[in-house]
Amino acid sequence: MADLDEDAINNSTTGGAHADIDLSDETQDFRMLNNLSFLDTANLSLPKRGEKDFEPNPTVFQADILSASRQAMHNALAYPRLHHPKNLLIGVYAPNGPAPPAISKSLDTVAEEAPAEKAAEKAAPVSIGAQVPADACVYVTKAKGPFFKSLGQADRWSRVWLLPEEALYLLERGTLDIRWPRCAVGDGDEDDIEDSGLPMSLQAAYACLMGRGGLTMERYSVFTGLRRLGYAVLRAPGWSESDEEKVSQAAAQSVARQGPGLAGIFSRFMGWLCDGAPTTAVGPVAGLGFHHSYDRIYRKLSLIPFYDPVTSASPSPQPRLPYAVVWHVYKPSTSFRKSAPPDPDFKIAVINARTTTIPTVSQIWTLLESTPLNPPRPNSQLYVRLKNGYRNVILAVVDQGVVSYLKIADAAFGKEKLYAQRPSGGNKNRGPPRHKFKKR
Amino acid sequence: MNSSPDLPIPISYIAGNYFVFSVDAATFLRREHHICGVLAGTLPQVPQQNVFTGLPLELMPEEARLLVEKGVGCIVDEVNFQKQGMKSLMEEDRKKYLKELESQGLESKQLQIRRKERLREEYLKKKNEKAAAKAKKAEEKQDTSAAPSGEDSVFLFDDRQPSTSPSHVSSRRSSVLGASDAMGITPAISHPLLPQQPPAEHHLPLPEVPSSYPLFAHLHSKGYFLSPGLRFGCQYMAYPGDPLRFHSHFLAVAAEWDEQLDLMTIISGGRLGTGVKKGFLIGGADKSRDDSGVAGSNVRAFSIEWAGM
Repeated sequence: MADLDEDAINNSTTGGAHADIDLSDETQDFRMLNNLSFLDTANLSLPKRGEKDFEPNPTVFQADILSASRQAMHNALAYPRLHHPKNLLIGVYAPNGPAPPAISKSLDTVAEEAPAEKAAEKAAPVSIGAQVPADACVYVTKAKGPFFKSLGQADRWSRVWLLPEEALYLLERGTLDIRWPRCAVGDGDEDDIEDSGLPMSLQAAYACLMGRGGLTMERYSVFTGLRRLGYAVLRAPGWSESDEEKVSQAAAQSVARQGPGLAGIFSRFMGWLCDGAPTTAVGPVAGLGFHHSYDRIYRKLSLIPFYDPVTSASPSPQPRLPYAVVWHVYKPSTSFRKSAPPDPDFKIAVINARTTTIPTVSQIWTLLESTPLNPPRPNSQLYVRLKNGYRNVILAVVDQGVVSYLKIADAAFGKEKLYAQRPSGGNKNRGPPRHKFKKR
Repeated sequence: MNSSPDLPIPISYIAGNYFVFSVDAATFLRREHHICGVLAGTLPQVPQQNVFTGLPLELMPEEARLLVEKGVGCIVDEVNFQKQGMKSLMEEDRKKYLKELESQGLESKQLQIRRKERLREEYLKKKNEKAAAKAKKAEEKQDTSAAPSGEDSVFLFDDRQPSTSPSHVSSRRSSVLGASDAMGITPAISHPLLPQQPPAEHHLPLPEVPSSYPLFAHLHSKGYFLSPGLRFGCQYMAYPGDPLRFHSHFLAVAAEWDEQLDLMTIISGGRLGTGVKKGFLIGGADKSRDDSGVAGSNVRAFSIEWAGM
């Protein structure tokens, strides 16, 4: 992730050893949770890494600490999901996907709509709003609160439809109360998705929503992990194999955008002018004649052709799951409109570590090719440019609920002409920082 | 917390994963059977962070299998159980359940009101004390000017009035609480609406496990707490005690008994382990030896450490 990387580089010089440690890497002592003051939001900061012991010993002291830790964990896990009656948010589960409300059918017939339109509606009963995805299965009638800025899609009756992961996440964090529909509890007929008044438990919600429409636990773990950190996360076109047409459309767009351009042609022409014909067969590699600058010599010496990510525009095969982008992630700061989402800040492919092997080069290649060209900012530092690459994608490798993120970038080492870089005034601190390896 | 739930504990099988939803079951498995799982959910009280996560508890297939083999757990096809259980609900049961939820909601509402009032009382008390101290100071300092101290006393009086009557207020308010004031509750588990022990028709056979299961069972039987280890570059992390309080000692990787190992595997594993102050542990089951029906009893494990010569 580009910005995080930058921050890490900037902090590594100033921050201490703690800056490198990700607290969520390991199980933390739940007693730390007691220290967090929930009411005081001004100085809400996460706890420091807790002190752990090396190995168990039979002392009462250690046993006491352990049982206190477990008690704290138990208390934290037992915390109920409560909804104040004033801002109770109610969703209803629709097991058969989006459907128009029961009342509206009768309302429509009463209303002054043309009979032709009515007939059309009967023919296509799912036409409840262009934006509502077919995988949506929970609707909220009175949607309010900040979450609906980046979650859900409204239909014609101003009900907001949530995808399974969105509904489950909102329920899990104690924001939404999902109700069983009347058809699931034995009342009414099969299409009756009116509120039965029975709240769904967390257990029931997992049973009903997990596995729906391609939602696996791995994908969901990535979704909630990022949502908890404040990112907006949307499904990408590559979500399921049947969405391949959409992917190819998106790819076609990106190909159209990324042609070599005027500047590219010009620079190639200039290169041809400067270099002249390669005459390495006879004489010195750098060529005969006058050399006025080192740059010229270096340019002559660069005999081996290098790979340029910008110019490769050959259409590639479609990425196949699991090595396909399934989540588009947006930074919290972006002004985000869910009706017309901007280009994502990060693209994530989710991989189940238990069932997937290490990708082949061609798999990684098609995955990278499916993302739009994202050249690094030219005025950024050398290493930031290399890390960002010309295309990048993030692999989220999920091992039984534990997510590791790997960033894969199409770096262009050949394009970074080191000889063309001027030394920056001899101030060593301002040069590119040395890479620091994480030590644990 | 020290309650032990009824055995076997139902382990929900949903879309290829194994979950435990009950708090008591989760802490019981951790305490008595050294099964930690991975907390996969969001904590509703602190939802915007990833350091502390909440229920459900996601179990590895190995963990689920071990529990079933020990007779502590049973695998339940949760999707079908929920669907059929909800369909066959009785009208009275539903009403009873809703009433129960409502009374719980009222109770928690009252609790909240009481807590708020206590906080208010404490705050007012502190404020009064401060004001009194200030007034005293002011009096001591300038006994001639009567105006400021007089003002203080006026404030004091105003503050004191509500602080003397909160008990009265709370009793009145809690008695007025109606059904519409009840807090809505999203329960964590479906019990008591559905039976705690699902009928046998919803039980599933033993979970399928990877070939590393014997090593898992072996290390578990030696008292280690195991967790998924890909983040640290191995199959399992082995902790000497509860991961809440102890760092892990070993990065465990399973191998077949007759498997040819590249020396580089051992070297890189050893380096990896030493780099994070842990031992690299490699082990596998000797299939020629009788395992007497208990998984993991024929396993040998070796730990490799970098010697600082």
